Amino acid sequence: MTNTLNRRNFIAGASVAGMVAAVGGKAAAATADDPLLITLVIPSPVADVGWGHALYEGLQVVKDAYGDAVELTVIENIFEGPDADRIMNKAIADGTKFLVAGSFGYQNGAMQIARRNPDVTVLHASGFMVAPNFSPFAAQYSQGTYLMGMAAAAVSKTGKLGSVSAFAIPELITSLNAFTLGAQAINPDIELSVVWLNSWFDPAKAQEATEALVAQDCDVIFSNAQDTPSVVAKGEELGVYTFNLNSSMKAYAPNTYLGCVLTDWSPFFKASVDAHVAGTFEGGNAFLGVGDSVVKVVDWSADIPADVKAKIEEVEAGIADGSFSPFTGPITKADGSEGVAAGVTMSDAEVIGMDWHVQGVTTPLPG
Amino acid sequence: MIAIEFILAGMLAAATPFLLAALGELVAERSGVLNLGVEGMMALGAAIAFITVYTGGGHVPAFIAGGICAMILSLFFAFATIGLHANQVATGLAVGILGLGLSAYFGKPFESFTVTGIDKIAILGLAELPLVGGLFNQDIVVWLSLLFTVALWYVLTRTKLGLLLKAVGENPHAAESIGYPVRLIRVGAVAFGGFMAGVAGAYASTVYTPLWADGMIAGRGWIAVALVVFGTWMVGRVFLGALLFGAVSLGGIAVQTVGLAIPSQLLTSLPYIVTIVVLGIISSNKRLLRLNGIASLGEPFEK
Repeated sequence: MTNTLNRRNFIAGASVAGMVAAVGGKAAAATADDPLLITLVIPSPVADVGWGHALYEGLQVVKDAYGDAVELTVIENIFEGPDADRIMNKAIADGTKFLVAGSFGYQNGAMQIARRNPDVTVLHASGFMVAPNFSPFAAQYSQGTYLMGMAAAAVSKTGKLGSVSAFAIPELITSLNAFTLGAQAINPDIELSVVWLNSWFDPAKAQEATEALVAQDCDVIFSNAQDTPSVVAKGEELGVYTFNLNSSMKAYAPNTYLGCVLTDWSPFFKASVDAHVAGTFEGGNAFLGVGDSVVKVVDWSADIPADVKAKIEEVEAGIADGSFSPFTGPITKADGSEGVAAGVTMSDAEVIGMDWHVQGVTTPLPG
Repeated sequence: MIAIEFILAGMLAAATPFLLAALGELVAERSGVLNLGVEGMMALGAAIAFITVYTGGGHVPAFIAGGICAMILSLFFAFATIGLHANQVATGLAVGILGLGLSAYFGKPFESFTVTGIDKIAILGLAELPLVGGLFNQDIVVWLSLLFTVALWYVLTRTKLGLLLKAVGENPHAAESIGYPVRLIRVGAVAFGGFMAGVAGAYASTVYTPLWADGMIAGRGWIAVALVVFGTWMVGRVFLGALLFGAVSLGGIAVQTVGLAIPSQLLTSLPYIVTIVVLGIISSNKRLLRLNGIASLGEPFEK
């Protein structure tokens, strides 16, 4: 794993990339007639909010930095499957040299493209495959959701939290676990109910699920990987706190918005494009968090008590400098067995592959 | 108990988009025309209605605008299938895809915007009942849909217009020979179906889930088509089917919140499993199908 682009050498790489930016700038100037074509493929529409929006914003920062030397194309609403492979291949045939495959299901097609086109750099969301010109990237949402959990426990009156979640995949399970652990740090008896929609995209169902959770007395709802403001808007209507991932939805719930676990991909995208231009790109797992300035919590609700807010800021600083991890034992699994022994911290690989719930999550995981 | 209360309170509203679209499709199919474009017509109606409300037009104009736009789309279908004798299945699919595309195009500037829904109207006395109270606290569209269901049942079974529609669907040549304008009646039935699909979409995007997102209809138009067969072309059974579908899909969610150890994938697919099972039972009963099926369904009418 010497090629791994982890947090520490990612930062180092970013500064190296900064140094070669002058060279990159020259190279870009020399080929001003032939700009670097960057293509983003995503499964949902690019709206004002959500996952696709966050990726697009990140690339837009790169585009602004490079000006005419970079051309950015966004292909939206592409289902994961053979159609996506065809569309990505078409983008490569049209001259794309830097491809951002914005969903897990694009993995095999994107990997084939990377193998066939060594001069193309591919970044792939939430995957596990790595090649010299192919990096999977994922956000450590759990660092942000842990902080959110602390806030949620402080504002909850019923001691019951809820989440509307897309699919029971490790990335989402990890977020829920960290959320629960954060909440338990403030109120050890707090519980979390989860509704799995088994869909990335069904606003009507997401609102039904929100109503169902509120009917069960949940008064803070975590909108886990829902790209539309469905849950957040419903929360405002029903008067329960909500928060979400990726981009702020405060405008949809001015009174009951607890905060946003924001992802800002621009530092990662900028460093990767710089490396591509300089010819120094090395594929590796990019698992990015608070310390990389990729995950941030913004738009905190004013209702969070000052003493809890101070604790949150303390933990946030600890996560940023690496002295604190949400997944340090003792952690008990939902079935009562030991998840992590006291004093032990889970490795990145263990966190990425998490397939069990911590104690306090009352909904059993789908099999 | 809370879960049952939640299902009872929500199932009517959850069923309404299915019910309105399915009843429209039922009328079209009764006249002998199978329009598979319901999903696209719903999506177009949803987009247009959302835009109308968002730009300050209010809910009533939104429902009308959504209905009319979907009706215009259905008239393209009518022109191709009834005027030009095009294959109904293929044309319906094409028009449905066109509707989805148009909804995405018109809705693009409004992606992920939200509007305010409409207030619920409680029936005094009944709405305060324990357990079932929620059932009597619904928005005006739900109440009107129930009235509409009864009215449509009356028209189809108790009036000359209903009989006429049946004649055109069962034996268009016989209807023609005694002087009825078969094509005109079919165009009217298709247009009605289109309007209702648009209204169903409008309900979905401005009342039930008051936001616009491309693809938000998420297969509900297909369920509506299936519900018509599910209900063997009878208004009452289509209503029950829509209600059952709404209840089962809410049930899937409610069961998860109370923490029962049933895999959520199974619960999510439960409404579809129920649909397939019931369709299977209906299809296995040849007599039932022959009694209620529409004899000329899907066949172009040529003189």
